[in-house]
Amino acid sequence: MATLRETELKIFIDAVTHYFLHLTSEPAEIRAAYLAETDLPRFDYTGLITLSGQFRGCIYFSAPRILVRELLIRLQEPDTCEANLLDAVGEVANTISGNARQHFGDRLEISVPITILGNTQQIKSSTRTRPFAILLRWQRYEAAVVIDIEATA
Amino acid sequence: MKLLIVDDSNIIRSRIARIALHPSLRQLSIVGLAKNGIEAVELCQRNMPDVVTMDLTMPEMDGIACIEILIARNPGLNILVVSALSDKVTAIAALKKGARGFLHKPFSDEQLANALLEVSQ
Repeated sequence: MATLRETELKIFIDAVTHYFLHLTSEPAEIRAAYLAETDLPRFDYTGLITLSGQFRGCIYFSAPRILVRELLIRLQEPDTCEANLLDAVGEVANTISGNARQHFGDRLEISVPITILGNTQQIKSSTRTRPFAILLRWQRYEAAVVIDIEATA
Repeated sequence: MKLLIVDDSNIIRSRIARIALHPSLRQLSIVGLAKNGIEAVELCQRNMPDVVTMDLTMPEMDGIACIEILIARNPGLNILVVSALSDKVTAIAALKKGARGFLHKPFSDEQLANALLEVSQ
């Protein structure tokens, strides 16, 4: 398998919607899922997971400050400091990637999250020419999940 | 019973600590918070917990390696794995190393409280 099939892309879409529904009782609405061009969607806070094993590439979740802050409040976390906002996007990326192993199994080896503050620097696709981008809306706020992965075998 | 919380995410450690304060879990008292396996091993040696919540994907030392060390030192330790890794192979590996339970992230407050009750009985 050299690339993701549509059914496999749905695994990630389901993981995203499940995350918000399960934790906040409010589902994330999927606004679009598409093959991105060179400029990948990115907001204030990004949590990124790199992959190894039978896949290579990365998966990231990126959201504006207001969404991440609201998420922390819903989780009854009173401290919305910068470190916790970064921690939250890392945890979302970790959960989405980890949940995808229900389908991919341990062929999908995932790293600990890397977190990135600020959206001034573009994230370039490193694996696929055109990664999958999923745009979502939770509450009134937009966020994105990008899946830039390919099978190595 | 003494509880040790192990997770590389500060907000998850904080959330588990908050849930553990629920009256239904009054038999548990938190004796430590660790952000990786190495810290967990040190805190276990120092504080001798009865129950441990254990993340799996962590820097320095991951959860599976940590479970192996903790169970070798204290076979009666009650370890609840709390992880986003949702595949059966991982769950079985953790249970084979000696974990008593497995809870997938994302989890609700009630699911964690029930899982903690189960492993601490």
